[in-house]
Amino acid sequence: MKKLRIGGFLSVVVTLVFVYALVKWGIPAVSREVTTLPFPLPVPGALMFIYMVLTVIALFLFVTFSDEGLDDFLRPVKKFLRGGYGKIPRAAVLVAVPALIGWQFYEITVPKVEVPASLRIQHPSSNFPKSFEAKQNLVANPTDAQIDAFIEQAKANEVQFIPQVQEDVENWSDEMDPDHVLEFFPVEPVKQLLAQLESGTVEKETAKAALMEKNLFEGRALYAMNCRPCHGDSVAGDGPMADGFKLRPIDFTDNGTIETIVEGYTFWRVTNGGPGLPTEATPWDSAMPEWKLSLTEEERWKIILAEYDLAQKTPRIPESH
Amino acid sequence: MRITNKMIVAVGVALIAVWASGPALAADKPTKPMPEATEELLEQGQAIYFKRCSFCHGLLGDGEGPAAKYLDPRPRDFTLGTFKFRTTQSGELPTNEDLFRTVSRGLPSTGMQAFDNDLIKNGLSEDDRWRVIAYIKTFAQEFDDPDFDPVKTGKVIALPANRAPFNAETIAKGKLVFEKAKCWSCHGKLGRGDGNKEFRKDDWGFPIRIRNVTHPWKIKAGTEVEDIYMRFTSGISGTPMPSFVKTLNEEDRWNLANYIKSLQHKRTSHQALKAKPVEGALPEGPDDAAWDVAEPMDMRLAGQVVAAPRWQNPSIEMVTVQALFNENDIAFRLTWDDPFKDVKHDKSKEFNTNEISKVGGFNSYVEANDMVPRALETFRDSIALQFPVKPPQGTKKPHFYRGSSSDQVHLWVWRADLDAAGKRGTEEGNARGWKQPIKAQTEDGQQITGKAIWDQGRWSVVMKRPLKTGDKNDVQFQKGVFIPMSLNAWDGSNGEHGLIMSLSTWHYVLLEAPTPISVYVYAILAFLVAGGLGIWLMRKAENEIEPAEVSA
Repeated sequence: MKKLRIGGFLSVVVTLVFVYALVKWGIPAVSREVTTLPFPLPVPGALMFIYMVLTVIALFLFVTFSDEGLDDFLRPVKKFLRGGYGKIPRAAVLVAVPALIGWQFYEITVPKVEVPASLRIQHPSSNFPKSFEAKQNLVANPTDAQIDAFIEQAKANEVQFIPQVQEDVENWSDEMDPDHVLEFFPVEPVKQLLAQLESGTVEKETAKAALMEKNLFEGRALYAMNCRPCHGDSVAGDGPMADGFKLRPIDFTDNGTIETIVEGYTFWRVTNGGPGLPTEATPWDSAMPEWKLSLTEEERWKIILAEYDLAQKTPRIPESH
Repeated sequence: MRITNKMIVAVGVALIAVWASGPALAADKPTKPMPEATEELLEQGQAIYFKRCSFCHGLLGDGEGPAAKYLDPRPRDFTLGTFKFRTTQSGELPTNEDLFRTVSRGLPSTGMQAFDNDLIKNGLSEDDRWRVIAYIKTFAQEFDDPDFDPVKTGKVIALPANRAPFNAETIAKGKLVFEKAKCWSCHGKLGRGDGNKEFRKDDWGFPIRIRNVTHPWKIKAGTEVEDIYMRFTSGISGTPMPSFVKTLNEEDRWNLANYIKSLQHKRTSHQALKAKPVEGALPEGPDDAAWDVAEPMDMRLAGQVVAAPRWQNPSIEMVTVQALFNENDIAFRLTWDDPFKDVKHDKSKEFNTNEISKVGGFNSYVEANDMVPRALETFRDSIALQFPVKPPQGTKKPHFYRGSSSDQVHLWVWRADLDAAGKRGTEEGNARGWKQPIKAQTEDGQQITGKAIWDQGRWSVVMKRPLKTGDKNDVQFQKGVFIPMSLNAWDGSNGEHGLIMSLSTWHYVLLEAPTPISVYVYAILAFLVAGGLGIWLMRKAENEIEPAEVSA
């Protein structure tokens, strides 16, 4: 194989360019393959600086390791300075390099127009009341009395829905004229409950699972009415309003959000919204409403139930003290 | 160092790999046709529909789900078999792929979001999208009738074989088509949707919104030339938008699509507006040529959903802001598109918010059509600039929604009705949170002057004030300091008034400070030192070689 021989100086230049390109474009490209995320991982400026400094040190050692190496490196430089490559290129470089340095000084010293940074703190908790820590979702664990009441309603075919979904359910009942109002649920637990009602023996576990489905149905409707405009119907923080806010609505499908907090914290955030945040979490930029001013406690819990379900996440279990 | 051919090849391959691995394209074209609608498939589709679609489109598919009343445009009523966005001839049913495209991409500027799981994390796989589409088709009987099948009956529109390139020539030709076909009679001479003088409603009494084609983020079924071509070829069912198949040939339609594409506005994305210093007087009016040199910043607004009465159908979603200042004064120009000039205000028609502003009040959002009149000559157009009163310390600011009891904001409100009546259109006021209305300052405190123009579907409003006032309730402008700034905006004929409005979060305005002279001195010194060093090295290199040359 034919070998290409280039001088010491050119080797140094090529190596620097290669390392720069590798860090600048190679790392992001590879990171996308490795993480399979739709965006590349960023390469911080400090990382680039460290890589380039290491490369320069290595090249310095390489060049100055022997006198021959140093000569090899300096020969074209000296030749250039003598005008061996032409006087015009020499004059150009002798003007361009100082000009570049002068420009760098200008860049460093000129007052910068940079928008003040506002950091986003994921789970600010400096003012999180301890009493919320162990709060349980009211509707996630129905009591025996609630289950019995639901069974009675189901037996009498008089299941009570929240008023927000009532109209749609009635429209469906009027049109379809079903044997039982719960028939519009295309889900297994409710189908089982209906079968058991038919046979006459209703198991409590089945009724509980069906009641959970009803709570989820209502929670999803409340979510669609109240939260969807910002957080999106996919709960990914991408609702029709999302782009209008500087602090984008939270993406609940993100692993770092509702999965890493206890349900009581979620309830606290929904209840007190942006104005309830501590100062370090820039409450003035948050569009999150104080839902305690509009939604009942039960409505808020139903929404949280549906939110976790839609995001296919489970809340962190509170630690016992 | 030796560099072999092998190494060069390896580097080349690596670079090509880097360039080739661009972002994955969204799959709005299915990889396979819709599967046969078996009972099992429909059951699976129903389960998805129940969980993801029914809250807007209703359990019966009639577009009457619990969230429907609050949305404009309304969710589709699937039982009618009328679909707006098709690749089929006027009045025909859509193809399966048309439905797949809408479900995958969503319809921007409506409540219908993308469901493609390549676009969103919690979306639907291709199989799931086909399942739910198969179920949705069961709502309209027309889909069962093979006589209505657009594919079998050959009613599908193909894109033209010869597509004129997107360039100045085809755009100019397209502009002539725009004039000849009278597109402007609805869409306006400049495409801002301001052609009609009346506010039109459809058969259900819902407003018909004529598209402002210069705002691509509001265009529902795609912003590319192909998409635009398809819209006026297929027509938009259920709306006054006809098919132009009979009046315009393929080439005309393609050129027209190129022209429409060329009108699309590209939004700026910066968050800080640089106010430019000017010598002498500031421009008085909004049409002054002095504004041409001022940097524009596009501010995005969202519906006011922070507190009841919540509003998710805002009309004004972008306002372009510019600012100029001289020794004494600062002037802002606010520009936004609004198809109707609303200069009347009827206080008696204002919405009583008490009913929905309480815990458990059914819903705290304002219904899209029944709660507030969305008509001409009802409410005025208006806009307000908002600043903190206290100079910002660190990142601390008042809440973007009118501040709070401890941190008040200063508002510069402009009202179209007062302006049109020859009164002072501008008013300075203060707010401490949204619970109390804006409190107007006393007559002495009113120092803003304003001028406004509405032309071809666009408002331009200039508000001017001294940089510094003695008033402790006023924002004071200081050079080189980032001053938070946000907007409230009302489109009267969209039913907006009071807290039913659109608003932005905090942006900044910065009055450019002159660069200190020391900056230039340092830069010139650095240049001289480096240059001297270079010449010294050059001399040294030249001297070094001289003996060798002499000896040779």
